[in-house]
Amino acid sequence: MIVTYNWLKEFVDFDLSSDALSDLLTMIGLEVEGVRPIGADFDEVVVAVVREKLQHPNADKLSLCQVDSGKEILTIVCGAQNFNEGDTVALAQIGAVLPGDFRIKRSKIRGSESFGMLCSEKELGLAEESDGIMLLPAGLPLGKPVFEALGLKDVIFEIGLTPNRADCLSVIGIAREIAAVLGKKVKYPSYEVREQGPPIQEMATIRIEDADLCPRYMARYISGCTIGPSPAWMVTRLNAVGIRSINNVVDITNYVLLEYGHPLHAFDHQLLAGGTVIVRRAEEGERFVTLDGQERVLTCNDLTIRDADKAIALAGVMGGENSEISDSTTNILLESAYFAPSAIRRTARRLGMHTEASHRFERGADVSVLCRALDRAASLMAEFAGGTIASGSIDVYPEVLLPRTIPFRLDRVERILGIELSAEAVTKIFHDLEFAVECPEPGILQVTVPTFRVDLEREIDLIEEVARLNGYENIPVTMPNVRTFSDRPTRHQALERQLRNLFVAHGLSEVITYSFINPTVFDGILLAENDARRKTIGILNPLTEEQSVMRTTLLPGLLETTARNTSFRQLNVQVFEMRRIYLPKEEGELPHEPVYAAGILTGLRDPECWNRSRDSIDFYDVKGLLENIFETLCISKISFEARELDLYYHPGKACNVYVGKELVGSFGEIHPTVQENFTVEKPLYYFELNFEKLVSLSNEIISVSPPPRFPETFRDIAMLVQDATETGAVLDCIRGNKIKEIENAELFDLYKGKGIPDGHKSIAVRVRYRSSERTLTDEEVNRLHERVVQNLLSKINVTIR
Amino acid sequence: MKEKLEALLQGALVELSTVSTEETLHELRVKYLGKKGLLTSVMKGLGSLSPEERPVAGQMANVVKVQLEERLEGILQDIRERDKEQKLRNERLDVTLPGRRRPVGTKHPVSLVIEEISEIFAGLGFKVAEGPEIEMDYYNFEALNIPKDHPARDMQDTFFVSESVVLRTHTSPVQIRTMLKQPPPVRIIAPGTVYRCDSDATHSPMFHQIEGLLVDKGITFGDLKGILTIFLNQYFGSGTGVRLRPSFFPFTEPSAEVDIACVMCKGKGCRICKNTGWLEILGAGMVDPEVYRHVSYDSETFTGFAFGMGIERIAMLRYGISDMRLLFENDLRFLSQF
Repeated sequence: MIVTYNWLKEFVDFDLSSDALSDLLTMIGLEVEGVRPIGADFDEVVVAVVREKLQHPNADKLSLCQVDSGKEILTIVCGAQNFNEGDTVALAQIGAVLPGDFRIKRSKIRGSESFGMLCSEKELGLAEESDGIMLLPAGLPLGKPVFEALGLKDVIFEIGLTPNRADCLSVIGIAREIAAVLGKKVKYPSYEVREQGPPIQEMATIRIEDADLCPRYMARYISGCTIGPSPAWMVTRLNAVGIRSINNVVDITNYVLLEYGHPLHAFDHQLLAGGTVIVRRAEEGERFVTLDGQERVLTCNDLTIRDADKAIALAGVMGGENSEISDSTTNILLESAYFAPSAIRRTARRLGMHTEASHRFERGADVSVLCRALDRAASLMAEFAGGTIASGSIDVYPEVLLPRTIPFRLDRVERILGIELSAEAVTKIFHDLEFAVECPEPGILQVTVPTFRVDLEREIDLIEEVARLNGYENIPVTMPNVRTFSDRPTRHQALERQLRNLFVAHGLSEVITYSFINPTVFDGILLAENDARRKTIGILNPLTEEQSVMRTTLLPGLLETTARNTSFRQLNVQVFEMRRIYLPKEEGELPHEPVYAAGILTGLRDPECWNRSRDSIDFYDVKGLLENIFETLCISKISFEARELDLYYHPGKACNVYVGKELVGSFGEIHPTVQENFTVEKPLYYFELNFEKLVSLSNEIISVSPPPRFPETFRDIAMLVQDATETGAVLDCIRGNKIKEIENAELFDLYKGKGIPDGHKSIAVRVRYRSSERTLTDEEVNRLHERVVQNLLSKINVTIR
Repeated sequence: MKEKLEALLQGALVELSTVSTEETLHELRVKYLGKKGLLTSVMKGLGSLSPEERPVAGQMANVVKVQLEERLEGILQDIRERDKEQKLRNERLDVTLPGRRRPVGTKHPVSLVIEEISEIFAGLGFKVAEGPEIEMDYYNFEALNIPKDHPARDMQDTFFVSESVVLRTHTSPVQIRTMLKQPPPVRIIAPGTVYRCDSDATHSPMFHQIEGLLVDKGITFGDLKGILTIFLNQYFGSGTGVRLRPSFFPFTEPSAEVDIACVMCKGKGCRICKNTGWLEILGAGMVDPEVYRHVSYDSETFTGFAFGMGIERIAMLRYGISDMRLLFENDLRFLSQF
């Protein structure tokens, strides 16, 4: 809602600076989002008098003037003809900046110097078009800014209204709030309706057929109007709040709309068949052309205003082209009606129409203001369009809507707000808001709220009014009875944070990508046609097709993140994301939203450094990361199996991760085709873990052992094995011996190449022996180790070196 | 004998006074105290002495030996100390060469802010609650007193999954789910991802909020002011100005917008606060009785408050970020600064 300082002042006396007014409004819930002075840009345009006007020596159409700005006489070259010596004019001095960044400079025109410019109304933004320069009334003080001298200086306030405050969608409504805060009375507009024509009943009949959607319909008839321009003050005011002037009749309905907040509609009476107005639902599928020239297809839920033959307006939203005011209109039927908010909203939403009228009707108009808005507009039409108002008005109001009376318990104020207020203080607030108050018994008030406050229905609504007018700042700051403890985070929450910390400690940076993805991305990551992850939850109204389905995997977002970074030549990427994916369930059930943890690593393992080799990330970096994670989460029985791999992996450089028999994730090098699809140069390593499974499989550390008291002894086994033999099998075989003295067995060397037969590799394993009871002797260790070696030889095809 | 020993001692001391290396010191030790050294050869003369003179001379020889040994040891220490100092003087690193750094990751600013805020509220007794992001229209709107065909729905541009299922537009449905699950008292915060169809420099179609809810006996608007004042002072620094002004949310009444004194200009007025000196930081209010009706709480017995704030907005203020889109572009040159 846009209002101006001067306009508000018409309805309430206040003496506040524009900043103070802005604060006052904001602090009662009418948030001022912008304050803009009008005319301040034109301070360099001043009142001046033309002392001398001569023909320009070198141009027929120009004159050479001597203009008195009060402090000096300036030579001005002017092209307009509509003025004479002695006229008062608007002089843009050197340095003035007119709209369109038009800077006034000293200039030479056809050989004569000019020290400024005489302005037209258009150049000052006061009119759409103008013919010649603006002539000011004589006697204005010379040198004074023109806007100030004409009283056109004003301040525009843009107020961000919350949807509950329909009553403030008008200048009077906002003035009423100011009056309430300042304890003043609103000065409502005064007007006189001079009814001179024949009774309206002779001209028009009105019938409401769907009273559920239109509880009240009023009309007046104004004949003999002349359609023409509106008075300048009205144009200026409408312009100030952003409404373009159309003609006097339309402008008047807009003006009253802004003043009272009630939408009116003017019909060209001659175009109404039978002079009849019927308020009724449209026929299903009925076609109707609105004022904006658009054809609309209506449903039987849309309320229409009709004449004897046809629809003439889409009730509360927009009039029809077929009954619009035109230059030839003389007789007007003026509508002031009340429509059911939800019906207007439904229609406006369905048709994608949002008008000043629908905005107000769907928030709730004031059923009592109809009459005043109608009379005010009629009187303005008589005054500014030369119309004659017919006697009487039509008011179809089958069931009178009475103001609401709400019981109010004083003690609830303290219960809710934490501040005790007396009955007198509360009553004063209600009176300031124009509510009627009765006190049938101590502690109880019966509060009758005016019909313009459609937002007030319950006691709590009134408590808010008390809080608002008493001032939120006057409510004391207290503390609730705080519990002396707080609950610990759930296991899920604690592990989520722990895991996030772990990733960060391992050098990965967290990213957050959009939850919605492009459905075509599944082809880019080579997902099988029958992969369950292709079954997504779609968004009916996505912003773009690229964001139209909810993701079922974190991979695309991470690939895009990596691609974007590498395109900025950020080639070393180590990122993770730990967020939800969205998996559809049965029809009628909300989707499953498990958290997954996934990441991509590519480029150098460590930051580049002058004294370190530049090693690239590989498979085993990712494996090590995951092994650390499992260890930290106390998850054991992990196995890595390179079968049934997702197709987005390199078939030979990836594996699935199992805990026991449960698949918990996978990792490995991304398939080169996927890498190409996302235009990344270097190999990418990806991992994904089902976080929900990690949570259920994780354990807490229950007990620990003291450090061993006796020394360890180790023996190494160097062996030749076939390439195809998995090292894990060798290690498992050694660890699997039922010998309690084996503390662990670790690979410490892997070699292929010179000296090793083709198709073979050399591996070296260190086996550590330790007893918890005593120091083992060399002989004991030798005996144990011999068993280990024999067992290995018997189970796996190895050659001990 | 005595003279011989004294001469030996004097001679040794003179020689020792010029020693500067461990090697020459060792040679002198051998020369005087070695098995074939001078002291041994003098001692050999003991046998030719009378039994009366012998112990006196023996004792004397011993004194000389001890004296020499102490002297030798002292010089050895000096030489080693000097050598060490010499070595330390020669060992010099260029400390301005860059260090060998380990890769360090960073948390996303949205996670950082959620963690920090959750910690503050944990200290105030609030527990973290969660709920689905793909949500029933009923929980997202209806139960929060936002009926269909109500203009309040315009406040939030909604992504629809079906007629009755939406991407939640705020974290407020977690309030409803929590209250349906448990009787009062309730004291939760609910951080989470939310969605609205809107995208520009200050809006992202996906963003994050933290919701708070406290319902108990005897909770007032004053308590809401108290909790929020404590939170905002802990998060933005003690002494941060806080103001509440009336607003409207369908699920609270009275409702408030909560502003803090601008963190950039300290309330003087600047571009960030559009010269008002205040920054809108969260929305709050007393839980509307209509919400209690939907979760079957007795609004006569229990009162409470709810509040909600946008994480991105807080992150943007906290870290001086001017374009929200930066938060979701995941440019590592940006993320690595957190």
